[in-house]
Amino acid sequence: MKRVVLALLLPALLLPALLLPAPNATASEAPFERSEQRSPCTDYDPLRRAFFGDTHVHTALSFDAWGQGTMAGPGDAYRFARGEALGIQPYSRDGLPSRSLQLRRPLDFAIVTDHSDLLGETRICDDPSQEGHDSLVCRVVRRFPKLGYILVNGHVYSSELPSRYSFCGSGGAVCLQAALGPWQEIQQAAEAHYDRSSACDFTTFVGYEWTGMPGGRNIHRNVIFRNATAQRFPTTYIETPTQEGLWQALDRECLKAGNGCDVLAIPHNSNVSAGSMFTITSANGSPISAEDAATRARLETLVEVTQHKGDSECRPGAEDELCAYETLPYARMADMAHIDSEPGKLPPLMYTREVLAEGLVQQARLGINPFKFGLIGSTDTHLAAPGLVDEDSFIGHAAGTVDSRLQVPAFPDRTEFNPGGLAVLWAEENSRDALFAAMRRREAYGTSGPRMAVRMFAGWDYPDDLCGDSDFVEKGYAGGVPMGGDLPAARGAGAPKLALWALRDPAGKQSPSHPLERIQIVKGHLDDGRSVEKVYDVAGEPADPDALDLSTCTTRARGSDQLCTVWTDPDFDPDAPAFYYARVLEVPSCRWNTYLCNRAGVDCDDPGSVPGELATCCDAGVARSIRERAWTSPVWYTPSRQR
Amino acid sequence: MLGPWEVLAPTARYLLLAVVTAAVMAVEGAAGPVPLILALFAGHALVYLLLAWLVTRLCTRLLSRLHTRARTGVVVAGCAALLLIALLFDLYITPFGGLPRSNLLGLLS
Repeated sequence: MKRVVLALLLPALLLPALLLPAPNATASEAPFERSEQRSPCTDYDPLRRAFFGDTHVHTALSFDAWGQGTMAGPGDAYRFARGEALGIQPYSRDGLPSRSLQLRRPLDFAIVTDHSDLLGETRICDDPSQEGHDSLVCRVVRRFPKLGYILVNGHVYSSELPSRYSFCGSGGAVCLQAALGPWQEIQQAAEAHYDRSSACDFTTFVGYEWTGMPGGRNIHRNVIFRNATAQRFPTTYIETPTQEGLWQALDRECLKAGNGCDVLAIPHNSNVSAGSMFTITSANGSPISAEDAATRARLETLVEVTQHKGDSECRPGAEDELCAYETLPYARMADMAHIDSEPGKLPPLMYTREVLAEGLVQQARLGINPFKFGLIGSTDTHLAAPGLVDEDSFIGHAAGTVDSRLQVPAFPDRTEFNPGGLAVLWAEENSRDALFAAMRRREAYGTSGPRMAVRMFAGWDYPDDLCGDSDFVEKGYAGGVPMGGDLPAARGAGAPKLALWALRDPAGKQSPSHPLERIQIVKGHLDDGRSVEKVYDVAGEPADPDALDLSTCTTRARGSDQLCTVWTDPDFDPDAPAFYYARVLEVPSCRWNTYLCNRAGVDCDDPGSVPGELATCCDAGVARSIRERAWTSPVWYTPSRQR
Repeated sequence: MLGPWEVLAPTARYLLLAVVTAAVMAVEGAAGPVPLILALFAGHALVYLLLAWLVTRLCTRLLSRLHTRARTGVVVAGCAALLLIALLFDLYITPFGGLPRSNLLGLLS
């Protein structure tokens, strides 16, 4: 009985501190610089709240989304994020959508990040009034969309030497000019849907995706602007084919433009980069310099660790068995067509955990860590449907994979794809400046979809009973740093303490959620110059995987509504630089394909009854359950001699 | 299948796609996977042409044993039946066409 009372009472005591605004806070105390004119937010909390959003959204302005029949634009995407219904393909001859989508819960923020490459070409091929509309390439793209997708992708995105098509004219002028229209549309939609009232209900950012994929190796970055001031024209892979070039362009055309422009770049899908996304050599082959490292660390404070095209946290086949989660079985994006890679053959530096460890090595060499990034999730939707992350309603990625232009496929996408995740930012209010500041200081985490609330603080002196303290958050900030921060210098001979607190997705009747299973700490440190990883279970315990009934997607696993602990590193070496991040797991639940196959009534015990297009339902090689999860941004420890 | 696509299309279709790809290559250059795609289309077309030729040869030998009138009847009826099936049923899987599955008319429209 006591346990029940405590279980009911503790969240009631702690929840306000975790999620709700502090009563006496005022916007004038904001610890971040305000760069725009807007009404102060009524809900302002100096102890910060979790805001859920999607930083990776494509609309009909992206060539590949348009080729898949997506007709929704940036404004539609923002309306969808705010909870409105969205009609999607296939469309009837009268232009009516055959399907409608709606989020169960609106998002707090969203960012449309259409591909900067081919913005103009897409507009030209779509709009009969544009010069170049009747070019051979545009005719092929319209008449043979799939062939056009492969030809154009190969010509631009995945080419080592990308170039403009001849219809773009000399120097690509025609296409660059045509791209200004959609670029302005993106900015206007962001402005129109940004809630500048004191309600602060919804935030948008101006953004785009720089889509470099040399030799099929993905090095994509989403570029996010802090406020309405952006580059006059988004940087493209065609004109700027290296990541160093992108950073220089962002510096030159935004940060040093002297017009209030501010920007970050968020890499995604290092899991199909074949190790090219986080390189330790420059474009000319020489080892990166301290200046290169500083530039990267300054511009790339976050990495998208999960999305439709798989999970990038850690290497499959590693000692950590939970790395076998939404893993893509190929090293390069281009290998999607020919799966011939094996996990053991994947090149190094493809996963964020090993890149974080490499950052420690580089810090020891250069005095600065180039890979000091936090972690978020997002979707990469090409249906203009941000935040559509529930496993039971995955409708596909829609970018040239499974054809959804003219008919609804039985299987919405490749089985190795997934519904993607969310980005969560701890911020004082839901405004551009506050959210951008959270991104910059890495006080952020990613989830695989569920809206669990996760706090992590790192310090030296947290009391072991901090979890029972109603001032957990206040004392967390006061005694150390939140996720994304640097541990302050050690005061004495003790080991770092991490104060961790996770609340289950509160969900609701329309949004089922699962209990929490455990919190893990992932630690990486250097031992004689070599990186070493270790995973600790610090709260909760593993659930029985057999507790999940795959035929009904119900579970007997009890799990927890919240987990909280103060963990002290038992293996701390004060001379070894280290990082720590938390991984919060839910009890096992059904993966999207299981929901789909159950709905279709597939009976794998009677193979003759299974329709051919649903044969994958009975493929033993396809995971049927997952552990939904959250990954916090790391905190870093640097020994005194390296500071 | 020579390529990664689940395609079932007449040889003429592959020839058309090969011609389209060759035209793009001629106008825009051979950057990226264009030559490979062209080779796959042309390869499919050649292999299927060869198969069609072999089947035709086999049929000719079998039919040669029949009287002229009977042979004509079998050939006309066979061709008509195949054409009818191709026109009435969505036999073709055509991810490079306007429809994901279609009959012969849909494929050529």
